[in-house]
Amino acid sequence: MGRTVLLLWSLGPMLWQLYSSLRPTQALTGVGSGWTLDHYRQLLSAEPPFGHYLVNTALVGSSSTLLTLALAIPCAYGLSRLGQRPARQISLVVAAAAAFPAVLLFLALLEVARDWQLANNLLALSLPYAGLCLPLAVLLLRAAFREIPLELEEAALIDGLNLWQRLRWVLLPLIAPALASTALLVFIFCWNEYPIALTWLSRQELLTLAPAIARIAGSSVYTIPYGAFAAATVLGGAPMILLLLLFQRQIISGLTQGAIKG
Amino acid sequence: MRWRLWLLIAPALALLLALFIAPLLHYLWLSGHAQSVVTGLEPRPVGAQQWLRLLNDGRFWQDAGQTLRFAVCSVGLELILGLAMALLLHQPIRGRAAIRTITLLPWALPTTVMALGWRWIFNDPYGPINQVLQALGLQPVGFLANPALTWLALVWADTWKTTPFVALLLLAGLQTIPEDLYDAARLEGATRWQCLWRITLPLLVPYLLIALLFRLAQALGVFDLIQVLSGGGPAGSTESLALYAYLNAMRFLDFGYSATITLGSFVLLVLLGGIGAVLWRWRPLAGEWR
Amino acid sequence: MPASFADATAPLVERFNKSQSRIQLSVSRGPLDTDAVSDLAISSLLLGSSPYDLLLMDVTWTPKYAAAGWLEPLEQWLGSGALDDLAPGAELGNAFDGHLWRLPLVADMGLLYWRTDLMPEPPQTPEELVAISQQLQRAGKVRWGYVWQGRQYEGLSCVVVELLQGAGGRWLDQGQPQLNSAAARNVSRWLRDLVILGITPPSVANMTEADALQTFETGDAAFMRNWPYAWAELNRPGSKLAGKVGITTMVGAVGVPHAATQGSWGFSLLSGSGHQSAAIEVLRFLTSAETQTELNRRWGYTPTRLSVFTDPALIAENPVLPELQRALAASVLRPLTPIYAQLSDLLSREFNAVITGEIKADPGMEQLQSNSERLILSSGARG
Repeated sequence: MGRTVLLLWSLGPMLWQLYSSLRPTQALTGVGSGWTLDHYRQLLSAEPPFGHYLVNTALVGSSSTLLTLALAIPCAYGLSRLGQRPARQISLVVAAAAAFPAVLLFLALLEVARDWQLANNLLALSLPYAGLCLPLAVLLLRAAFREIPLELEEAALIDGLNLWQRLRWVLLPLIAPALASTALLVFIFCWNEYPIALTWLSRQELLTLAPAIARIAGSSVYTIPYGAFAAATVLGGAPMILLLLLFQRQIISGLTQGAIKG
Repeated sequence: MRWRLWLLIAPALALLLALFIAPLLHYLWLSGHAQSVVTGLEPRPVGAQQWLRLLNDGRFWQDAGQTLRFAVCSVGLELILGLAMALLLHQPIRGRAAIRTITLLPWALPTTVMALGWRWIFNDPYGPINQVLQALGLQPVGFLANPALTWLALVWADTWKTTPFVALLLLAGLQTIPEDLYDAARLEGATRWQCLWRITLPLLVPYLLIALLFRLAQALGVFDLIQVLSGGGPAGSTESLALYAYLNAMRFLDFGYSATITLGSFVLLVLLGGIGAVLWRWRPLAGEWR
Repeated sequence: MPASFADATAPLVERFNKSQSRIQLSVSRGPLDTDAVSDLAISSLLLGSSPYDLLLMDVTWTPKYAAAGWLEPLEQWLGSGALDDLAPGAELGNAFDGHLWRLPLVADMGLLYWRTDLMPEPPQTPEELVAISQQLQRAGKVRWGYVWQGRQYEGLSCVVVELLQGAGGRWLDQGQPQLNSAAARNVSRWLRDLVILGITPPSVANMTEADALQTFETGDAAFMRNWPYAWAELNRPGSKLAGKVGITTMVGAVGVPHAATQGSWGFSLLSGSGHQSAAIEVLRFLTSAETQTELNRRWGYTPTRLSVFTDPALIAENPVLPELQRALAASVLRPLTPIYAQLSDLLSREFNAVITGEIKADPGMEQLQSNSERLILSSGARG
């Protein structure tokens, strides 16, 4: 019973989108019938083609994820080895940053983009994205580091491994599940981010998925392109669905390992 | 050894400070200036004028109320539904992995993408909900044309999308609770309800708090969903503070006032956080859960 | 430029690029929605690295963009006679503050679409429109009487402007808002009454042009307010309403000339452009009589040049042209001011509140009046 309700609730709206994306525009208002792939064809043959946005988004997502991890891993490690008091205080600052609605930043970021010539640069977009994802990443990874017994690291120290070697060969493998789930969370965030992409990117060929879809124009001026929107939903959602299917187990086990208590 | 640890922390902290503190200082400066089409987009100092304008701007306060209403309702719903979802997903049911994945899907879809989908789902009279209503012989409902309903439609759409995130966090929490606790309770004759109330919930509190913190922050900054789904209408009944600030900057080109709105929202947010913290420490409420 | 124009001009652009080798013109296909195009253009201009030379702009953007310093005056390039060939009505809204900023590509004005198969003559006054609607609805001929744009957005402001003018009122007079006038109260009350009387569906409060066309096209309504583009769609082969639709200007009070809100699109030269003289050449080509003839023939866009309106060959092909010219001559502008976007935001918000019954017409208009006055005061702009 609970299962059925859950599935209906989660899948219903998505299935409706799938259905809409396969129906001719006229059929959506009750005139005409039949099935069509036109909406997909139209998206894939548009200028630039829809795949372009997917590539852009994947690029931003990957670079932001890497940057976030590169900053968060040392920070989380440092915090987990620092004394109780300073670590607590810094964690509090980080948590406060997490509670800061990111959308408040867009106006300032617009000026940053203009003054430092960062606009329309997909890699530069990783900077604010990494910053916004840092709090969550640091909190998750710090908890994972704390789970590792200190003796393990001390043993490695006695074996003469330096900090980098210890991280690379001993610590990171141990927190791999937490790393994987953090990376996925960051990636999903970048995939979905809208306000900053909206202000930083103005060239059509550089748009990421979220602003691109909000700007999709249909095949005809006369109708609201619900079919095209729906097809875009399906195409834009598919990669995420695939990722989840592949990594669902890791996400949950990673979060558990993280045991993210304050 | 100590300073090396600080060195490791520094880059991340620097980025956080640059990203969160610098903008606030910039807004503070900008809110003392007029920078709009009237000034040819050049900043011109105007003292406290923008702040007076903000205090007297009924729309700002209305939007603040609406934002809070939206955030409280959707986050509250998400916590309740998310808990139910997590409990369900935690049980050893058949096809659990598949069901977990499917449940998580809504959260992975971009907000703007699904917002367009919702606009179509709520369409009057051609959307699926109204098709069903009409098939049942009822009048279609103008979900997006009625100020009393549109914000609920937004809460609905937001809950649909983010409940999985809450459920995920709580599910991770559930997995840290040792099974023997339940076994022991059952031996003493505790009902399932008592188990939930006495064991599960108290142990989940840290996770509930984390979920609350993250979700509340996002919900109070709600922007994309509203911009795409309702555009702030009808009759301004769904405009959020973030949307108002965005309109002032990007449509009206009034940057001074946009910065003032943003900073004003931030002040309200800090006040809200302060009230929350006080309530949390207040004895009668604190109870045994802490 | 918006997607629709990008598609329509694509063959012309291709021909232009083939005709010479110095200038390579490329068109960026923007979104469909006017507000979204504006957001895109503004963010690219704010970021300071705008890749564009020419911008296709809605008539209401001109003063804002000019005041922001983003546009280049055109009179030095085109001379003072640039507007000579424009049909009456089309010359409006291109100049602001003593400079010419824009040359129109297509004209656009609010029209009342009516069903020729349901009535012999279109209504002239609001009362007639209500009477005909109710009669048709009672007879079961149509489900709804009149559909229009009531969503809280620019389209609602357009609906209001022509009704207000037709009722003898004004939005601004000498820079001062006139929105608590009897005319404004009547207009807002009438719009609300349309919903109460069941002539307009309650969903009008979320209706855009496309939604209204959707309802009208299925034969569910007797009247629709829309722009000229809908004509081609309604008369396309296979349309349920082909040959059954007429156009006229919006209803108005007895003795007051009918009005049509002007919504033309035109090209402006960006001051940041690195290829200004080439851009002017393109601008000349795209606004030429030849281009406009082609756009009208193939896509039904309304021209702005007198020589195109009076071209007998084109009239033979497109008999509705003289009607469009009449509507253009009756067109009224929305206020020309850099803070138009704010004024319009206030107006559409308040009218939307009246339409949904959130507030009564009279207090609503009082509130709109005082909000508009305060905006003009606090922004320090002339209205």
